[in-house]
Amino acid sequence: MLNRLLVDFAQWLSETEWSVGLHESLYMFNWLESTHVMTLILSLGMLIVIDLRMLGATFMQVPASTLAERLDKPMMIGFALMFITGIILFTAIPVRYTNSVWFRLKMILLVCAAVNAWLFRKHMLASAATWSTDAKPPKRTRIGAALSLFFWIGVVVCGRFIAYDWYDCGKAENSDFINWAAGCVAPQ
Amino acid sequence: MDVQSLFVGLENSPIGVFVKDKAATFAIIEAVHLLAWTLLGGAILATDLRLFGVALRDTPSKVVSDNSHKLFKIALTVLLITGFFMVAGVATKCYHNFYFWVKMAALFTGIVFVFAIKQPILKGDHDQLHPLTLKLVGTSSIAIWFMVAASGRWIGFS
Repeated sequence: MLNRLLVDFAQWLSETEWSVGLHESLYMFNWLESTHVMTLILSLGMLIVIDLRMLGATFMQVPASTLAERLDKPMMIGFALMFITGIILFTAIPVRYTNSVWFRLKMILLVCAAVNAWLFRKHMLASAATWSTDAKPPKRTRIGAALSLFFWIGVVVCGRFIAYDWYDCGKAENSDFINWAAGCVAPQ
Repeated sequence: MDVQSLFVGLENSPIGVFVKDKAATFAIIEAVHLLAWTLLGGAILATDLRLFGVALRDTPSKVVSDNSHKLFKIALTVLLITGFFMVAGVATKCYHNFYFWVKMAALFTGIVFVFAIKQPILKGDHDQLHPLTLKLVGTSSIAIWFMVAASGRWIGFS
């Protein structure tokens, strides 16, 4: 039911002038994808530095909360641009993305990363005064940073794998589980 | 032996065959390459944004550049190793790809710039350096590495 709704929406979107134009443009899609990757490098680059500090692996001379606060702005600018370009890229090939196992997994991991970041930030703001200058932050903070890295590595790997057609709907070798995970529905 | 034969030989070597034999091998190496890029980007941008005076202004720029350079070296090592394997899998395609050579030229410039210019300058006392020198180093660094990343992405489009 939900998959049918999603695929119908994607089908409708793919037939709009915007989507067709973007998909068939000579350079626009490439520019958007390049911008998506560049802003990924900016946002995730900042995030990795912050998370490694929270793990006690680098920038030990700098208070952890100071590093997180100071790199927050460039990271958020990167994230904002990455999300905008990501949404636009989705509108270019909506049906394929909707039925991609990797795209779906990427979205789940993105939600996990966002929830973890929210909890992590909440905890950090409440307790940073007690450990910020420690070279090695408390266990709970380190777990949050490790989870953040884990989720984002997953996002990047899944994002890269979307380009491959291994589990595209309609492939005879797909198992029932893959067809279910990809949300494959019979064409109408 | 000319350069083209070298590339053909690389693609037909056991490494080239290993990489291109299964699509998943190339894809996994590619994903690790991209992850290394994010670490490299973080290391470069943390330093360069500090040199600009945009971020981490209350942290000495020397502390930022010293810590970032360690991360940069790790990221660069992973990038070079995964990059070599990726090229091995599609060596003949790379040989004929204009953006591959742009990337190689930019990468060479970037490595020389970091180890022969940027680091020697930033190794000293930053208070003795003219602020404009620091800004110039930061601008050049961002421009060069942006070129490496952008041309690298464009290889796949052409």
